[in-house]
Amino acid sequence: MSQAGHPAHTQTEESNTSLLSASTLIGPATVFVAAGLLLPLAILFRYSFNRFEPRRMMVDAFSLENYVKFFADPYYTAVLATTLRVAATCTIACLLLGLPLAYVLARTQSRFKNVLIMLVVLPLFVGNAVRAAGWMTLFGSKGFLNVTLAQLGVITEPLEIMYTEGAVIAGIIAVNLPYMVLTLQSVIEGINRNVEEAAFSLGAGPLTMFRRVLLPLALPGLLAGTILTFILGMNAYATPVLLGGPKFKMMGPLVYGQFQLNNWPFGASAAFVLMSATLVLTATANILIQRRLRR
Amino acid sequence: MGRLALRAAAGISLAYILLPMVFVVWLAFFAQEIPSFPPEGYSFQWFLAVPGNDRFVQGFLLSLQVAIVAALIGLGLGIPAALCLVRSRFKGREAVNNLLLLPLIVPGIVLGIALYVFHVETEIATGWPILGSLGGLIAGHVLIAIPWTVRLITASLTNMDRAVEEAAQSLGANRLTTFRRITLPAILPGIVAAALFSFIASFGNLEMSLFLVGPGRTTLPIAILQYLEWKIDPTIAAVSVLQILFIGAAMLVTNRFVNIGRVV
Repeated sequence: MSQAGHPAHTQTEESNTSLLSASTLIGPATVFVAAGLLLPLAILFRYSFNRFEPRRMMVDAFSLENYVKFFADPYYTAVLATTLRVAATCTIACLLLGLPLAYVLARTQSRFKNVLIMLVVLPLFVGNAVRAAGWMTLFGSKGFLNVTLAQLGVITEPLEIMYTEGAVIAGIIAVNLPYMVLTLQSVIEGINRNVEEAAFSLGAGPLTMFRRVLLPLALPGLLAGTILTFILGMNAYATPVLLGGPKFKMMGPLVYGQFQLNNWPFGASAAFVLMSATLVLTATANILIQRRLRR
Repeated sequence: MGRLALRAAAGISLAYILLPMVFVVWLAFFAQEIPSFPPEGYSFQWFLAVPGNDRFVQGFLLSLQVAIVAALIGLGLGIPAALCLVRSRFKGREAVNNLLLLPLIVPGIVLGIALYVFHVETEIATGWPILGSLGGLIAGHVLIAIPWTVRLITASLTNMDRAVEEAAQSLGANRLTTFRRITLPAILPGIVAAALFSFIASFGNLEMSLFLVGPGRTTLPIAILQYLEWKIDPTIAAVSVLQILFIGAAMLVTNRFVNIGRVV
């Protein structure tokens, strides 16, 4: 920010008072977010070392037994594996589905561009439960998909689509796709169109142009979108509950269920397993891709 | 040829995003209660029944109330913070900026657990019955209103011409007058957009709210979720359609103040 126009001698005086007023301006919001998010995460971490006793609920302790319980029990490790598998599948699908749409949205000259973007944004705000309702209508045993396939003579018996991993994956892709599209679109918009034209005029085909010009330039955004989608996939709640049914378990519903049972220590440790797995994987992906980029 | 393939692929993605909403709308007009295809006929009856359904009406009113209050408190906390982020240079500015935007990136489930734990500890420490209270729910929603407010108001402050403020001050206006007469009108569209975005984000929030609602206090998205865990029928589809329309209308209003494609 330029300080042009201010006489030099008031500069230090002003920076002192502005430091004071700066903290009164930004203090409340900062304290609110720190107290509402950072502090509780620290408390939650502490909870994860406590002990759960059915009668007394949470007992102060300092043991790793919740984490041991999680990794020693094949049920819980299977839930973690399912979550990782679903999140990874959805992220790859979002990347493949999101790129063309993001590119078209970024480069279109259409006067309906804003309408198109609103169509991408609207589902984000409508909420996951409403969209799950749509998939339930589509996937049910007498739902649109089964009835259409039967009419076409492709199937004779209705397919079991509801309450399967496939249904959950289909649902989460639709939930996460707008995030990917919006992230990629803003990055592609920031890339000068002339570099694409230059590649074309030098004889590159569309695929070569994409691979050699657009992809390297869009990589930071691609990475950001991928990480965001992966995090959201790992933490999905409404979609696995509604489309996966009671038997299908991912980490989000598992953590919520433990808190419902009042087993806070185990719920807290499961939450930290989820967060650590997400963090480690995204950080590793970040480092690997950055390293490849530097070569 | 390549261009056509690209557009087709983009069209498929957009259709995929919208597909579930199309089917909810379709189901809402079914004549029969069972969601089986093809429908036996079409009817408007489910929409007419919604106002008589207490759960959804109460949920709507609670969501409305929480979203309005949270958006307003979000403005109160977010506008000064944005002013400070844009107008002053201080150590850790970037870190504070990231912290204020953090609730947007942290998944709803994690936010919900964190707040739940915070409420438990506050209740133990102070004795206030905050767990499951209206105040606790609103405080949680303020947490998701802050990043939207900071983001949108920071953007409109950055776009504003600083020289006008300096002119006002050199003509003898003090800081408060300058803010009230110059800065505030200039960033008003940003403020309105911030309020509307906070409202929309709060109104549609599901995962975080799950941890914060108390007995007999259910927001609309949670009421929809709980109904869907039990069954799917045109009643819930009609409620969903009303929510889509409500949020869609709020977005159209927002779009009059800021270009939605630029800020999301």
